[in-house]
Amino acid sequence: MVYTVIEQVVNGIVSGSVYAIVAVGMTMIFGVLRAINFAHGEYYMLGTFGAWFAIDYFDLPYPVAVVIGVVATAVIAVVVGNFVMQRIVGAPAEAGVLATLGVALILQNTIILVFGGSYKFFSGGYIEPVTLFGFTLAEQRILIIIVGLIVFVGLELMVTYSRIGKAMRAVSQNIECCAVVGIDVRHVALWTFILGAGLAALSGVLTAPVNVSVYGGMGELITFKTLPIIIMGGLGNVRGTFVAAMILGIAESLVATYVGLQFRDTVGFATLMLVLMWRPHGLFSAQARF
Amino acid sequence: MTIDLSRRGFCIGTALLGFQTISSGVLARSEDGTVKLGLVAPMSGPNARYGSFSLRGAQMAAKEINGAGGVGGRKINIMAGDSQGTPVEGVSATRRLIDQDQVDFIIGDVSSSVTLAMQPVAEDAGVLLLNAASSNPKITYKAGVGGFKWTYRNYPTDENRALIVLQYAAEKKGFTKYAVLSVDTDYGRAAIEFTKKYLPRFKSQILTEDYYKEGEVDFRSVLSKIRDSGAQAIIMYGNADSTPIVGRQMIEVGIAGKIPLIGNAEFNTASTIKAAPKALEGAIEAAAWLPAYDSEKSRAFVEKFTAEFREAPNNHAYVHWETVHLLAKAIEQAQSIDREKVRTALSNIHYASAVGEVTFDDHNQARLPMILLEIENGKPAIKGAYSADIDYPK
Repeated sequence: MVYTVIEQVVNGIVSGSVYAIVAVGMTMIFGVLRAINFAHGEYYMLGTFGAWFAIDYFDLPYPVAVVIGVVATAVIAVVVGNFVMQRIVGAPAEAGVLATLGVALILQNTIILVFGGSYKFFSGGYIEPVTLFGFTLAEQRILIIIVGLIVFVGLELMVTYSRIGKAMRAVSQNIECCAVVGIDVRHVALWTFILGAGLAALSGVLTAPVNVSVYGGMGELITFKTLPIIIMGGLGNVRGTFVAAMILGIAESLVATYVGLQFRDTVGFATLMLVLMWRPHGLFSAQARF
Repeated sequence: MTIDLSRRGFCIGTALLGFQTISSGVLARSEDGTVKLGLVAPMSGPNARYGSFSLRGAQMAAKEINGAGGVGGRKINIMAGDSQGTPVEGVSATRRLIDQDQVDFIIGDVSSSVTLAMQPVAEDAGVLLLNAASSNPKITYKAGVGGFKWTYRNYPTDENRALIVLQYAAEKKGFTKYAVLSVDTDYGRAAIEFTKKYLPRFKSQILTEDYYKEGEVDFRSVLSKIRDSGAQAIIMYGNADSTPIVGRQMIEVGIAGKIPLIGNAEFNTASTIKAAPKALEGAIEAAAWLPAYDSEKSRAFVEKFTAEFREAPNNHAYVHWETVHLLAKAIEQAQSIDREKVRTALSNIHYASAVGEVTFDDHNQARLPMILLEIENGKPAIKGAYSADIDYPK
């Protein structure tokens, strides 16, 4: 009994790590651009497709495919960032919603047009089980947890010590003052967006070996998992996002086991409602952004 | 000069214009010189793989028929509609095909939930809906003497499937304890409903029961629960794209090779077996058809399809290919594309398919066998073909 509960919590931590890497990018983009990026799941999809393409067409090893997936997504993010995201800085909230929804549709359907609508099989990665303290976990899932921790520690260091990180924090706190003191807000917005999209892609390529199937519409589910996480974590709050992602991952895992797999997707928004009833501004809204 | 348009004049004028549009549409339909055949299938979304195979199968059949001079001198023109595997999109696609494209007949859908939603639409329009791949028994409970006179199905039902699978698992494998992991659709739910009907006959029980949403990618929690439940087999009625994921995650939780999958979710596809060979070994499946089926017509189809698309066909490619040929034969016998005449011809047809002769019962359900197979040494081994009369509710 206790063994099963612990195992499900470990499963939840793995899912939570994936959600956290995707959601942190989305929350940072919100912090800087004040817009919820409804196309965020599509960067997760693009990263996965990039890696799948590298493996399937060029027979490249998985680690190389990971780099290709992330870099290809970052290149697309530069284009979208320049043509769309920079323009929504300071624009009304509706503009951000419509623009990012439009980008999501274009990216998703372009992939379907180029590669077809059917599922592709992702053959890379390391799925052999490893037994640790009596629990079995695939190598790939251990990798996901490790990379998740590295990403969060790295982000903490970046926003605390690096020049661009400090600029991101500043922009997220007060755009007008940043403009007055000479910070190039559009430049910061672009870099935040590229970083966020790259993290979503990284999460996609890490998950692909265990999720196996790759298809154009795969990003939608991730976007809708990410939304309650970033709201729960307090929009724009990195540490809050991490905790909220873990809460969601573990709650989903326990619900799938003890209530039913079919109720898994309801957990996110049900947990969100409960949290918002208790703390209307999210779990960590009192703290400063980033 | 000004034109004084009264409200009554406007209404009469609009009605006349509408009538003209409808009548010109009817003329277009009958004088086009082709057979317009609508095909509703999931061309995008989680079940797009099914749609892609269905379209290829149907197009290959149309090409063969057209190449041989057409049907009654008319070429078959396939017009595809994307259901995305959802009832709402399936109904929109059906309406578009009927109202805008003026199709003569419709084949569709792969998903039972979509077909159930399409039935009343086809009935209202008086368009023949020939289903080639949905297995929920309710589709033909409601057809023929059950109500919808325009719906036919050229595919076996889940009631037969549930019985055959359970019987083989109990009698040949000695299984009595099962875990359920099925897709949360009319197909997955109905298959389990009928499995439960036959459980007492084989003194068997279900220990855990879970249904997954299409597109689900994380089965680990449920698979761990199944591992600890004492189940001897997992009853899975699902979609093909979930099977490799389930297989891989069975390896992860350590039940691959210990608890086999039984039911139907394309366990026999080469790419699925390749994704998780250890998990798929020993899987038991009842299918309407599979590429390894040994008949001259079936072998010729597999050879031709593989040569044309550089990929082996799946069940959906076959059933759609066969159903287009079946419809063509009905049109030929009716010597017309008049819907009523074709419907009558279909009710009385004796069609030699690759798996046996097709005739329809009074519920417009084709009498077809199910093929039972088991994955042995990474390949599907056919264990027999079984058919049974359907026990319609009174």
